[in-house]
Amino acid sequence: MGAFSFTRQRIDASGLRQQLSDPAAGGYASFEGWVRNHNEGLAVRHLEYEAFEPLAIKEGERIVAEAITRFGIEHAACVHRIGDLGIGEMAVWVGVSARHRAEAFQACRYIIDEVKHRVPIWKKEHYENGDSGWVNCERCASPAVHQEHAAGHGHHSHEHSTHAPASHGHRFTGADAAALASTHGRVAAPVTDYSRQMALKEVGAAGQAKLRASRVLVIGCGGLGVPVISYLAGAGIGRLGLVDSDCLEPSNLHRQTMYALADIGKLKAELAADRVRALNPDVDVRAHVLRLNALNAPELIAQYDLVIDCTDNFATKFLLNDYCVQLGKPVVFASVYQYEGQLQIVRAGSACLRCVWPEATRDGIVGNCSEAGVLGPVPGIFGGLQAFEAMKLVLDLPGQLKDELLILDLLTLSTSRVRTMRSGDCPGHAIGRATAAQTAAVAQANAASRNAHDPATELSFDTLDQAQESGFDIIDIREPKELVEMPAPGGFARNIPMARLLYGEPRFAPKGKTLLLCASGRRSLAAAQELRDRGVVDVYSLRGGLKALQANTAT
Amino acid sequence: MSTDKRIKVQYYAILREQAGRSDESVVTAAQTPRDLYDELKARYPFSLAPEMLRVAINAEFGEWSQRLADGDSVVFIPPVAGG
Repeated sequence: MGAFSFTRQRIDASGLRQQLSDPAAGGYASFEGWVRNHNEGLAVRHLEYEAFEPLAIKEGERIVAEAITRFGIEHAACVHRIGDLGIGEMAVWVGVSARHRAEAFQACRYIIDEVKHRVPIWKKEHYENGDSGWVNCERCASPAVHQEHAAGHGHHSHEHSTHAPASHGHRFTGADAAALASTHGRVAAPVTDYSRQMALKEVGAAGQAKLRASRVLVIGCGGLGVPVISYLAGAGIGRLGLVDSDCLEPSNLHRQTMYALADIGKLKAELAADRVRALNPDVDVRAHVLRLNALNAPELIAQYDLVIDCTDNFATKFLLNDYCVQLGKPVVFASVYQYEGQLQIVRAGSACLRCVWPEATRDGIVGNCSEAGVLGPVPGIFGGLQAFEAMKLVLDLPGQLKDELLILDLLTLSTSRVRTMRSGDCPGHAIGRATAAQTAAVAQANAASRNAHDPATELSFDTLDQAQESGFDIIDIREPKELVEMPAPGGFARNIPMARLLYGEPRFAPKGKTLLLCASGRRSLAAAQELRDRGVVDVYSLRGGLKALQANTAT
Repeated sequence: MSTDKRIKVQYYAILREQAGRSDESVVTAAQTPRDLYDELKARYPFSLAPEMLRVAINAEFGEWSQRLADGDSVVFIPPVAGG
């Protein structure tokens, strides 16, 4: 008899059990599926099973062989009935003998789940009312301990949960006393089940071991971070570090689907870590409640093998880029904007973020100050892509995004893949620049830790009159259209749109002390910092922009 | 004119918003991506200077001063940081 077989006769469980006995085995687990007297509210009189045998036997034997390799068990076998069966008869039997109970249970579970999903067997139900119907057994596959049963997909099951062993349905038997005790308890502790991903030939036991051995750091627990964290936790990543210093806000929930309304005001890194613990206790999850800066980044990154950038600002992205290039850690970057986003992977030997954006982009320079807005699924899709690319890296799967920037516009579903091949000055050049940027970032972080605000660049005024009286040349850097919509009060400001101020010809030449203003103070701060970096002195940004002035006028 | 060429142009992020479209086919005498951007800037309220963007020509990052050829595909890409 092969490891998987069909029979038209009554299944003799005790005879089959004998065949699995082995002096090296310390435990035995079996599963029996029985014909139940009802399905979806209809009383069932008897059943007929039919299979395409040559194909079904091959697939069944493959499943048993997989279980033996994956779980390292001693022996396993499965027998399925075909033909006509009455109520209470055994339709399927699975037996496993193993050194220890854990792998006996896992392998037994694996075999029955896979047989129900993959082996072509059909079931015809004959109902009490005289009707009958064929049911593809793939549809009856869902042991009730799975979430999917609760979700309503398990109606065709002719088995019931191990949670309710007293009712009609299957039963586990165990020679191992401890195993017996655990199955006979009313509530069996749920265990993580990676069978669906391990069934992929590219994953298998070896791939699962790689996932388990990997350590992934996720920076940002927001729109991108939520899907990344969920999928990586589900996949059984060994260590998951979650970095975020923010608390959950009501406006987050439309795209950050892991959290609840009741969580508002709580720290996202901690909420996410709790969720990971609930989802998969195998994962060693670590919440890092901090904002990544030049002082804490190196030590944190060193504890992980792979970094996923789920942040929403250039400053952190470039900081991550610089340290990861230096430490040789791969980073999966993603950014979204309204209905689209960009994906790039930086790793040893590839183009880095500075190769693509040599003009280190400042937050506030691109886009306008008001929130650009985003539909929930956009970061969901990009976070999903990040999780997937991370798994490709860990599992060493083909088709990894390399030396390319992927741009995906979800409105038109158009994709651009732009090669990040670079001229001779990269990556050496980029690393040199990155190191210089790091030095500057450390100095900045040190200064920031001494003084939370940078008083030198931002100034507050109650009115623009005050600024003018203090001798400032006031420059409104907004676009002409914005000026029409909301003119700056007082008429002192001259208009030079930001692009012209920073890049126009001739170069901007200050007339003494300069105060830049925009709608909210974000663009003006970025522009002031940019000009200062180029050596322009005495250039300042109006803190809070016109909105702050209006608030002052209102009070 | 014989110097005119047909260029496929794609816009992303804030440029898409300002152009009011994702892509278009442009007949132009522009010699370089910079010429082309300046020409389009007269048509659309682009707020970004070329220095703030990257240009890709035929699926490869290119230079603003590169020569354009008939049938080229040009993508203007602003950096984005949302998450």
